[in-house]
Amino acid sequence: MPYLGSEDVVKEVKKALCNPHIQADRLRYRNVIQRVIRYMTQGLDVSGVFMEMVKASATVDIVQKKLVYLYMCTYAPLKPDLALLAINTLCKDCSDPNPMVRGLALRSMCSLRMPGVQEYIQQPILNGLRDKASYVRRVAVLGCAKMHNLHGDSEVDGALVNELYSLLRDQDPIVVVNCLRSLEEILKQEGGVVINKPIAHHLLNRMSKLDQWGQAEVLNFLLRYQPRSEEELFDILNLLDSFLKSSSPGVVMGATKLFLILAKKFPHVQTDVLVRVKGPLLAACSSESRELCFVALCHVRQILHSLPGHFSSHYKKFFCSYSEPHYIKLQKVEVLCELVNDENVQQVLEELRGYCTDVSADFAQAAIFAIGGIARTYTDQCVQILTELLGLRQEHITTVVVQTFRDLVWLCPQCTEAVCQALPGCEENIQDSEGKQALIWLLGVHGERIPNAPYVLEDFVENVKSETFPAVKMELLTALLRLFLSRPAECQDVLGRLLYYCIEEEKDMAVRDRGLFYYRLLLVGIDEVKRILCSPKSDPTLGLLEDPAERPVNCWASDFNTLVPVYGKAHWATISKCQGAERCGPELPKTSSFAASGPLIPEENKERVQELPDSGALTLVPNRQLTADYFEKTWLSLKVAHQQVLPWRGEFHPDTLQMALQVVNIQTIAMSRAGSQPWKAYLSAQDDTGCLFLTELLLEPENSEMQISVKQNEARTETLNSFISVLETVIGTIEEIKS
Amino acid sequence: MIGGLFIYNHKGEVLISRVYRDDIGRNAVDAFRVNVIHARQQVRSPVTNIARTSFFHVKRSNIWLAAVTKQNVNAAMVFEFLYKMCDVMAAYFGKISEENIKSNFVLIYELLDEILDFGYPQNSETGALKTFITQQGIKSQHQTKEEQSQITSQVTGQIGWRREGIKYRRNELFLDVLESVNLLMSPQGQVLSAHVSGRVVMKSYLSGMPECKFGMNDKIVIEKQGKGTADETSKSGKQSIAIDDCTFHQCVRLSKFDSERSISFIPPDGEFELMRYRTTKDIILPFRVIPLVREVGRTKLEVKVVIKSNFKPSLLAQKIEVRIPTPLNTSGVQVICMKGKAKYKASENAIVWKIKRMAGMKESQISAEIELLPTNDKKKWARPPISMNFEVPFAPSGLKVRYLKVFEPKLNYSDHDVIKWVRYIGRSGIYETRC
Repeated sequence: MPYLGSEDVVKEVKKALCNPHIQADRLRYRNVIQRVIRYMTQGLDVSGVFMEMVKASATVDIVQKKLVYLYMCTYAPLKPDLALLAINTLCKDCSDPNPMVRGLALRSMCSLRMPGVQEYIQQPILNGLRDKASYVRRVAVLGCAKMHNLHGDSEVDGALVNELYSLLRDQDPIVVVNCLRSLEEILKQEGGVVINKPIAHHLLNRMSKLDQWGQAEVLNFLLRYQPRSEEELFDILNLLDSFLKSSSPGVVMGATKLFLILAKKFPHVQTDVLVRVKGPLLAACSSESRELCFVALCHVRQILHSLPGHFSSHYKKFFCSYSEPHYIKLQKVEVLCELVNDENVQQVLEELRGYCTDVSADFAQAAIFAIGGIARTYTDQCVQILTELLGLRQEHITTVVVQTFRDLVWLCPQCTEAVCQALPGCEENIQDSEGKQALIWLLGVHGERIPNAPYVLEDFVENVKSETFPAVKMELLTALLRLFLSRPAECQDVLGRLLYYCIEEEKDMAVRDRGLFYYRLLLVGIDEVKRILCSPKSDPTLGLLEDPAERPVNCWASDFNTLVPVYGKAHWATISKCQGAERCGPELPKTSSFAASGPLIPEENKERVQELPDSGALTLVPNRQLTADYFEKTWLSLKVAHQQVLPWRGEFHPDTLQMALQVVNIQTIAMSRAGSQPWKAYLSAQDDTGCLFLTELLLEPENSEMQISVKQNEARTETLNSFISVLETVIGTIEEIKS
Repeated sequence: MIGGLFIYNHKGEVLISRVYRDDIGRNAVDAFRVNVIHARQQVRSPVTNIARTSFFHVKRSNIWLAAVTKQNVNAAMVFEFLYKMCDVMAAYFGKISEENIKSNFVLIYELLDEILDFGYPQNSETGALKTFITQQGIKSQHQTKEEQSQITSQVTGQIGWRREGIKYRRNELFLDVLESVNLLMSPQGQVLSAHVSGRVVMKSYLSGMPECKFGMNDKIVIEKQGKGTADETSKSGKQSIAIDDCTFHQCVRLSKFDSERSISFIPPDGEFELMRYRTTKDIILPFRVIPLVREVGRTKLEVKVVIKSNFKPSLLAQKIEVRIPTPLNTSGVQVICMKGKAKYKASENAIVWKIKRMAGMKESQISAEIELLPTNDKKKWARPPISMNFEVPFAPSGLKVRYLKVFEPKLNYSDHDVIKWVRYIGRSGIYETRC
């Protein structure tokens, strides 16, 4: 295998290359060279024969030349001095009468990645740009970019750039596209190639002559162009219309993106475009090319975020077929989950139910979670299906169903009754930690409605010694204590045993501490326990906030046809975050460390934010739940205690703000959708003395400022001031991160 | 922009590696092998991100092709490029297999050199590439003047997909209508989803720069023409088909298609895909599968499957294969079938029933008794669908080629002199019936 015994191999090859008999026989000579390339492919270091390979480049055999050049391009950085020897041959080839040889030599010369090569390649490139064969011009144009890349930060050669701009009018379509690519790389520091009106129109006229790669590339460059008038804009859209129906999905997607971006001020045009690409997208989704199908499905999901009804009538297209690869099935289930409506819900659920018993446990679980997602809107039907699934008594199904129930009960309290009836008996079929935790939580919180809840928990307590997951033990402690409050008679004895075990025998510190904590809490008195443990059992408002509200097309248009929909926004953010950090080094930690999901507040900022409440002699109480009605009543009855305006620029991510506010214990009661104008949010918070702070945020984009009005139910200026400073810091932090 | 292209065999050994950009190092080759090819679980996504580098992979038989990039590229384009790469390779040496790749190793490097430069796709049309690739490598200085001028005219020409000065003694063209019919049917015989995805592949051996016009029984065209002659509408009204969407090879003038719905083009030389289309309405389902599964106690299953062919009795379907899945705990199977051969394949957990030929409007039946081992596994058998493969000599979508006219004003051959062949092949795509 590679990496081993490379010395012997190099020696042997070297001998063969030097053998005059072999050199005389062209075929044998070429075979040896092929062997060198093969070793190179396998990762063997054959740079030792560089000298011999350079000699082999002086040949009339084009194939041999190509192979040798490939070799030289790979190893030139390691042997710059020897590579210089090859330059001579290459230079000579650059003036060969055969355009193919000229092109090949120029391309190879530009690809020699070694210092000092620039001075040799400059002249050949300039000649190449004016070559009469377009094949050579194509190579020369990209050669300019390679040359620029070689000495990264050097100054941009104005004359060369001008020459490239003029080559945009070249006859050959590939030269034109290569020019754009080359200029883009050379002018990267200055924001890339400039697309002004004449260039844009020239490119638009040439579009039909380009091949699919060229078309996709030009469509991408045209994103940069801002039409002067509405008339021009629609002219461009008309010109490009046919590309929405191109045979290449890549071009279709590129054209769609361009349409969406150009028509960003005309929502009806955007909707219209999305309607028109429905056909091509659906075709791609059912195409045999699985990878393309996957990409198309990712984009369908993206579109569904803004237009939930868009594909509803085609829901059958997203039914999974048995032999499709895993990744397509998972995407399809997600899509199905998102396009559900009153008309198709029955059929979609029927289909999803079929998947729940799939052989692949992964897929089955994804289907169950999908039903859980749909259950937020169509609760009754879904709960019924999920209950039936419990009847199958399959471990991997039961655990996921119970987890789904837990999440569902929190968001849709109306289904609590049904869930409680379904639960008895499933404890036999749950083995994994996640499932156990979910079941125990449900038994603890809603135990008063489940007759055998204490006995199920008792079983868990019996077996606690053999329980491997500390998280399950913690959950068990909390659940049993909660149940004790509602059914003391049945639980007292078991709770005693569990507490004894946790305090005396348990080795995991967190569990032990939790046990001790509850023990001391019980000593304080039952009222105190109730006050601390009996938090609300559901929060329907969370569902509304969490629901993927219809986002305007403009908030994802710029991500369309990139990797963002493929990886998912969150994953992409982490990737690009690292990339950003890598590129800019330590100077810009703030921009790079902020991601749409993941840790919502950068570490260093989090500390700052959390310190603040202490410093202001103000402690906000966590999890203070306020109903919307109560908030409204209080809000109307109070006067504004403080009003302030903060500067606010650019885009805005409400979920980020909400999460950040939660960190400092400020609850969001209601909030408008992202992108709506004006944007409003209502917040509430309470400090340890019971003083309520009610806040309204009002964002008017045209003034680029955020107006804050705070009301307080007890007039106390010092706490008010510290509350406002907390709020200011949070908003300031978000603003900072964002920019 | 593509930073590098790697080809691996099923063991993860590198067969071809070509790096185009500095930002992709040699370790990328290994990263993909370790994280994707050697990964234990099944492939999660065709796009994988490893250490901020995106790997796009496509699998052809047991060969992995991976394109690597650090940029935020458009995924559809990269996959299209990989498909194109496969097509080009297939056009040169047939099937993409480890053996073929190894023996055409030089050629592949040559191809990679031409179709990508600095990571940007360049010319990728097989016909046009032929001029640059010296597969046998005997050209160079011996290259004739004529060939040289060809390169120049080809590379400066307006039409990228066809070179000038092509001559054939016999002007011939072949049209293949290749369709794959996909079906998902419920046990009760209700069509859950069905679509046909079809391709019209043309192989042209025509001299000069011929202008071609292609006509088919597209509903919209027929209706348009039918306005003049009511007679024709009544005759062909039934036979016209509604195409959901279609896309064309680059050579087709789209503007003309949009305005007149006529398909006219100058074809590339040799084989190419003229159009690709999809229909969902009025599909002729060549076979109907009627399953009957009965569980007799805990250790026995009785399966009866009837297939009915649903097309003209004069036509013959070929290569029919019905795959009836069996539970994992099957211990023995007895099969009786009226026609063809059926076998229980334990390794595939299925009864495979093969029939060589079957005429239209016929019916055939298989019954099987499956003995099960008693298990204490409470898991119910998931009953995967019964799938079917076949090949029929007609187009399940109902598409018919009405004409293909050839005009070459500069050379002295007319439409009548061209020998034309048309063939219809309908194959099964994913053709499943749940049971």
